[in-house]
Amino acid sequence: MTIGLSFLLGLLASSVSYFMLGLWWPVAVVVGLFAWLAFGLLDVKMDSTFTLLGGLLLIFCVSLSAMVFRASDQLSGLQYVDTQAVDGTEFRYPVPLLGNARYGEAIYKANGCAACHTQQVTHESVVLDVKALAGEKNHAAVQEAISRFYKVTGREASGGAALGLPVGEWETVVNGANAADASKARNFLSIAGASVDVQVRFRGEDLTQHDLQNPRGRGWGKRRSVAQDYLFAEPPMLGSVRIGPDLANVGARLSREVLMRILLNPKIVRKYSKMPQHRFLFEKVGEDEKGQHIIHDGENTFKPTKDAEALVDYLLSLKSANYPLPEAPINQPYTSSMPKPVSAPAEAADAAKAGNSGK
Amino acid sequence: MSSKPKEGEAKQDPREAVDRSCRGPVLFLAFSAVAWLLVYSLFALLAGVKVHASGMMADSAWLTYGRIHPASQLALQFGFLVQLGLAVSAWILSHRGKTVLVDGGYLIFGGMLWNAGVTLGFLGILAGNASGLEGLQMPGKVLPLLFFGFALVGLSLVQTNNRRTDEEMSPAQWFLFAATLWLPWVLGGSYLLIHFFHAKGVVANIVDWWFIQNFAKVYLTFVGLGTLFHFLSALSGRQLVGRGYAQFAFWMLLLFGSVGGVSPGAPVPAWLPALSTVTAVFYFFGVIAAWVSLKRTINGASAVNDADSLAYNLMRLAALLFISISVVNVIFAFPGPGSAAEFTTYGPAMELLFNFGFVGLTLIAALYHIFPRLVGMDFSPKMTRVQTAAIVLGLFGATLPTALGGLMSGDAVLGSGVYFASLGDIFLLAGSLILFLNFFGAILFAVKSCDCLASFCGTGKTKEASA
Repeated sequence: MTIGLSFLLGLLASSVSYFMLGLWWPVAVVVGLFAWLAFGLLDVKMDSTFTLLGGLLLIFCVSLSAMVFRASDQLSGLQYVDTQAVDGTEFRYPVPLLGNARYGEAIYKANGCAACHTQQVTHESVVLDVKALAGEKNHAAVQEAISRFYKVTGREASGGAALGLPVGEWETVVNGANAADASKARNFLSIAGASVDVQVRFRGEDLTQHDLQNPRGRGWGKRRSVAQDYLFAEPPMLGSVRIGPDLANVGARLSREVLMRILLNPKIVRKYSKMPQHRFLFEKVGEDEKGQHIIHDGENTFKPTKDAEALVDYLLSLKSANYPLPEAPINQPYTSSMPKPVSAPAEAADAAKAGNSGK
Repeated sequence: MSSKPKEGEAKQDPREAVDRSCRGPVLFLAFSAVAWLLVYSLFALLAGVKVHASGMMADSAWLTYGRIHPASQLALQFGFLVQLGLAVSAWILSHRGKTVLVDGGYLIFGGMLWNAGVTLGFLGILAGNASGLEGLQMPGKVLPLLFFGFALVGLSLVQTNNRRTDEEMSPAQWFLFAATLWLPWVLGGSYLLIHFFHAKGVVANIVDWWFIQNFAKVYLTFVGLGTLFHFLSALSGRQLVGRGYAQFAFWMLLLFGSVGGVSPGAPVPAWLPALSTVTAVFYFFGVIAAWVSLKRTINGASAVNDADSLAYNLMRLAALLFISISVVNVIFAFPGPGSAAEFTTYGPAMELLFNFGFVGLTLIAALYHIFPRLVGMDFSPKMTRVQTAAIVLGLFGATLPTALGGLMSGDAVLGSGVYFASLGDIFLLAGSLILFLNFFGAILFAVKSCDCLASFCGTGKTKEASA
């Protein structure tokens, strides 16, 4: 091998050991020098099986530790976290599969639903909106800070702040900024003495649709999926191809009746669906059969089997992308525009009373 | 390849002795591979038809799309590619080393275990015992069977390589030797991590991606490149140019092919997709180095022997596919284009084009060269031309429209690409059926009409039955 190629190889060996394996830098340099010397100056001929075997074993260990063990170390400590449902009730997340759902997961696995459906919601970008509130005293300084922000970032002046910041009212300074710009805005404004309110928004095709903020959203989840969501999945069936919609949050979107119909014959629900029919999960019954979830597909009458019930139980349990997590919050409105907490005035009144009685 | 007749075998052409030692084991593995190719193309067509006619066979759980699709992938990867790769590796390692194949019986026994493993895995997926992981769809219980089957075959190949008569190892030998060791390691490692240590949550998926990446980017690529390094120089009658480039490519592809393969939005720590992008870029440098070496070797050359011109041209096509898919892959490794293609039918189509178009075609071309030397008679030339055309056309028909359709229509939509894909699948089925008949017929004919396989006649029949 020429001296140039071997130097490149040595450089790579040292950067791999430093960046990927996280070795102490002098060790990484020695590794690189060793690789350079071995291939360039000493000219390893690669004629012995021993050289090959040694190199192969070394790289196998590097590969296993750089990708699998490092990830496993990081993820093995995942525990329950607290989150809250839409109605505000707090609970521990994730919830283990209950009742039939565990068996339904096995049905999902056996029939290869993951061949066409993913269970991972992604987001494409994070944007930030910044609002500012200035009092009479610092109004001029804040105005100055805002125009400096527009100049520095080269943004078009937007929102109410462009027309002139009203005193004592929240006004939008920038919409849809990236993290760097938003932090500039926050720094400039807070140095000038304004109150600053930042809203974080996630955008992406998979997330909830919003006419202005996320026009192309398909509503498959309120936030992206993270490792925490799959703590109890055996195994997580993430899928890599979407021939059908994502199912990470399907339990929050569809009802039991609709899911049953889709499983029996998707064309009942969507005319041009390509999804295969799963008649083997149902049994034919007579016209006059009574009971829950009896489905007529136009010709025959079907009753779901135990497997179909369990599969639907499992699908209904998939609601992961609904709940906020510390590492994956859902879109939060401005705190300044939220209604004041109800308890606060009462407490204030109590405090005032207590103060009065104390006097 | 300079052939110096050895003193011990002065009376005979040494190559003939080598071929005689390879005959049974290599033909057994190659025949099983061709049979699995037929199974694959049948099930791939069936899976495609299921997409058009969603009500067809809806009463049978065995034949639902979610089962026949992964089963067909298993037949392609573990049934066809790995077995034909082993057959061709065995032949090249013994010819390059100018030594007889050591312990050919291990090859046959190991091949039987491997076939049993693939069959059980295939039936297991159809019966609903799939593991739910994408790269290792077969039930976990068959993995030890596959591991020991491969290890037995590998034992014979490693010994053959150790008894080579030239001390020097050529690039083809490095690549095939490395591939032979690598697959059992990653297979065993994934089995232990997933089914023995019960990797929890997404760690199981990370191990699975690690296996997929190592299987395609290291194992299959090394088998394909090793075969190309041997045959492109042997068939064009030239020495391989650029040993240093091949050496550089070897280590680069190994180091950076063995890490990565995590898609941009995956629900795992963010450094994993970032690392995958980095390794994909460095991997590409290895690809360029390998390409430079191959390109310089065959620049302007044509096959020395007219009989080999089909095999030679097919390998050139495979090499061209290798470099062009690698260029496209490195572009799509970046998060921008990567997220646009993520979850669409682009991904699996390109994977198929790489596995089958690069590795599969290389191995089929190698089979065209090897087969007449082992059996003593050639494939029917007319059928061979038809089957090659059908397989190449079918492959492009099954992959390119699906890949383009996936890019254009995005995810969660199935564009009109699938209609073309089914047309491609029909061609592929026709091609692999003709290849199977060709193979089977030539062997039957050889057994009946000439003495070429006389010594091998008795065992030959049982092998065909078991395959």
